[in-house]
Amino acid sequence: MSTVTDPGYTTDLDVGALPTTVFGPRDIMWWGTLGFMTIEGMTLVVCVATYFYLWRQPGTWPPGHTLLPSVFWPTVHVAFMLATNLVMMRVSRLAHRLDLAGLRRWLVIASLCSVVMLPLRWQDFLALNVRWDTNAYGSIAWMTVGLHGSLLVMNTLETSVFTVLLHRRPTERHFTDASDAAMYWYYMTWIWVPLYVMLYWSPRVL
Amino acid sequence: MRAVSPSEVTRADDQAVREELERTWADRPGFIGWLSTTDHKRIGLRYMITAFTFFLLGGLNAGLMRLQLSRPENDFLGPDAYNQIFTVHGTTMMFLFAVPMMHAIGLYFVPLMVGARNVAYPRMNAFGYWVYLIGCLLLYAGLFTNTGPDAGWFSYVPLAGPEYSPGKRSDVWAQTITFTEIAGLIAAVEIIVTVFKHRAPGMSLNRIPLFVWAMLVMSFMTIYAMPWIASASLFLASDRLIGTHFFNPAEGGDALLWQHLFWFFGHPEVYIIFIPATGLVSQLVSAFTRREVFGYTAMVLANISQGFLAFGLWVHHMFTTTVPQLGSSFFTATSAMIAIPAGIQIFCWIATIWLGVPRFRVAFLFVLGFVIVFVTGGLSGVMIASVPFDTQVHDTYFIVAHFHYVLLGSLFPFFGALYYWFPKLTGRMLSERLGKWHFALFFIGVNVTFFPMHFLGFAGMPRRVYTYIAETGWGDLNLVASAGAVVIVSSVGVLLVNVLRSLGSGAPAPDDPWEAESLEWATASPPPSYAFVHIPVVEGRSALWDRSAQRPVVTGLRTNVRDTLVTTLVDAIPDSRHYDPRPTTKPLLAAIGIGVTFIALMFTPWGLPVGSVVVLIGMIAWAWPDRRSYAEQVAYEGHA
Ligand code: HEM
Ligand SMILES: [Cu+2]
Repeated sequence: MSTVTDPGYTTDLDVGALPTTVFGPRDIMWWGTLGFMTIEGMTLVVCVATYFYLWRQPGTWPPGHTLLPSVFWPTVHVAFMLATNLVMMRVSRLAHRLDLAGLRRWLVIASLCSVVMLPLRWQDFLALNVRWDTNAYGSIAWMTVGLHGSLLVMNTLETSVFTVLLHRRPTERHFTDASDAAMYWYYMTWIWVPLYVMLYWSPRVL
Repeated sequence: MRAVSPSEVTRADDQAVREELERTWADRPGFIGWLSTTDHKRIGLRYMITAFTFFLLGGLNAGLMRLQLSRPENDFLGPDAYNQIFTVHGTTMMFLFAVPMMHAIGLYFVPLMVGARNVAYPRMNAFGYWVYLIGCLLLYAGLFTNTGPDAGWFSYVPLAGPEYSPGKRSDVWAQTITFTEIAGLIAAVEIIVTVFKHRAPGMSLNRIPLFVWAMLVMSFMTIYAMPWIASASLFLASDRLIGTHFFNPAEGGDALLWQHLFWFFGHPEVYIIFIPATGLVSQLVSAFTRREVFGYTAMVLANISQGFLAFGLWVHHMFTTTVPQLGSSFFTATSAMIAIPAGIQIFCWIATIWLGVPRFRVAFLFVLGFVIVFVTGGLSGVMIASVPFDTQVHDTYFIVAHFHYVLLGSLFPFFGALYYWFPKLTGRMLSERLGKWHFALFFIGVNVTFFPMHFLGFAGMPRRVYTYIAETGWGDLNLVASAGAVVIVSSVGVLLVNVLRSLGSGAPAPDDPWEAESLEWATASPPPSYAFVHIPVVEGRSALWDRSAQRPVVTGLRTNVRDTLVTTLVDAIPDSRHYDPRPTTKPLLAAIGIGVTFIALMFTPWGLPVGSVVVLIGMIAWAWPDRRSYAEQVAYEGHA
């Protein structure tokens, strides 16, 4: 731990002039977001571990007469999710520029994007071509899509509430929150990519 | 290192500052203030009292079990009641007492020890407590309505699955787990962020107190371990409620999957309890020998390596299942390896005591008791890490003896910490005389209760049996164990008397009764709502012992709003300020919403859509500032 420098304070430190709006790891909310991302990520890791653990059980995968998953709508959804990152990159840039008017506009668009993901998520369920109570394969597939789906639902609620708040009770704090929301959005969409590959492609190709 | 005179740092404007801070940080008066507080000290204390209450209830369960087992063919408790009671005992002790108690101590003391005005995310903190409380009440509501879980604290399938456990008992277990894990995860994130971003200037990472390091490691472990059990209990609940097949071999599921998921959490869980206990020991050793703990860096690395190793051990709980031979050897090796960091810690403590001038106060006696009891538990632990040995004693009372030595070993530092920090919590000293009785009875009681269980295990007594026949010859040792339990109960009785007497008429505690080194002693006992009049600036590893004559402090924080200081991650250089919201009952309402949702889910899947609406309303309410807070925040940001 020799990289730590001792600032060697010996007199009173006046912090009165320090800023109240900072971005990224300088701000405490960023760390909280990171913490909850880690927790959610771990629950998805448990799903992946369970998926492959169950795969190793005797028998074929998907078992018996279960159909292979379809890929059309899930692929559309994944492409859409990744495309929405462009919206959030815009949101993040506007937030860093403290541009309230722009942020208000683009967050409305972001909210709409998050709403569009919900029916697409329903298609993701249907594309599994199995029910949750048919067999263990169906159970873990539904669970994975469902847990990630709960992130999509929460994100829709959060983004919409946040957008309204920004129109009615804006504070500077919201610029920081918007940039954290963008970080969370990237995470939420990108983490779906390996899950999408696992659920819709791996039983076909492995 | 010389102990300088304790107490707060003073500045000319103290009185005015103090008054305004009090107005800003005080809770609303009365019951509404109690419900709406976001003060980490009030919530932390409440958390501790709740966890301790459930320790007493868990102990009551244990007492009932020991009464039942005290003689052969006893009919005090029937098999069904016994099953519920041992399951609720284990579940209470692990999920409602040990882990939440450590989190509670962390939530109270970590912010003070790093010199923060409040914990990070104070409203989340309140929310976490209420969710935890709902989980506690759910478990005991189950027990009192004859719906107490009865498949053991690890709730193995298929016993706990839909086929063999109809009714709601296992669902009560699963939802209790959900609530306590949500609370635990919230506490972990708060502690991490408080340590990372709210440290007083000058407290670089290589200067944070060892207890704070231990809480940091424990919190990271929580974040990586608890999602496993949370997911597993979700899988179990969905097998039971909506007909999934995770653990059903007939439809491609697997019962051993449960064991893997459970123990991938369950083993780290033991370290989640043990690591903070080591942090407490370090704090106590340093305070009562008046020395910085020998080998600071080694101690920190020991905690961190325990944190990592703990994730590589889970299979040792499954040696008697069909795990492959090679796997078993690997897990035997890792299980034995974990003795290394623990050994380092013990040597560093002994070196500190050796080099220092120990003061044999009650708190310090508990440290010595810890070393003896914990080492005994560690020795039997190394024994059962060996597969052939474990195969013999698996599911016998040898295991019960082993894990109680380890877990009760971790209880010693907790009691020590109670004597150490009680003055800070209440402004009163505990009686040393009663404390010595408490210690002696507890130490004797633990050994008399649990040492004979090793032999019962060798003699073949299985765990989780509600009775045994006289011909087994297990009667005598069981009677001894039950007598020991009476001694433990009386020791806890002495403790309660001590606490109540002290609250009524104990000697008033000064700010720093032990002349200890960390920052919680640099403020009044009990601390005011705003924690410190002036946030201290830290000049060395032992914050109070290493102070210069100037005693520099932080100035310039607003006193008319809840202004907090944010510092950099490694060096703790002041970097920005953060507005802390005003107290509110919204966290309580949100917790009730979540509580209703999860409890409804035990009965119908419609709980989910209904719950989503509740969550939506909760989220809007949470995010939406009332007029006054809004005005305050805008003014704070300089946009009046
Ligand atoms: C205070 C004195 C205590 C006594 C007399 C006691 C006694 C017992 C007894 C008799 C059993 C049941 C053994 C069986 O039937 O298989 C048991 C199980 C257990 N105890 Fe304790 N115990 C005590 C404290 C604790 C503490 C402090 C903890 C944890 C922090 C703890 C954790 C457990 C666990 C996890 C189980 C396993 C439950 C199960 O099999 O599902 N106990 N204890
Ligand atoms: Cu273990």
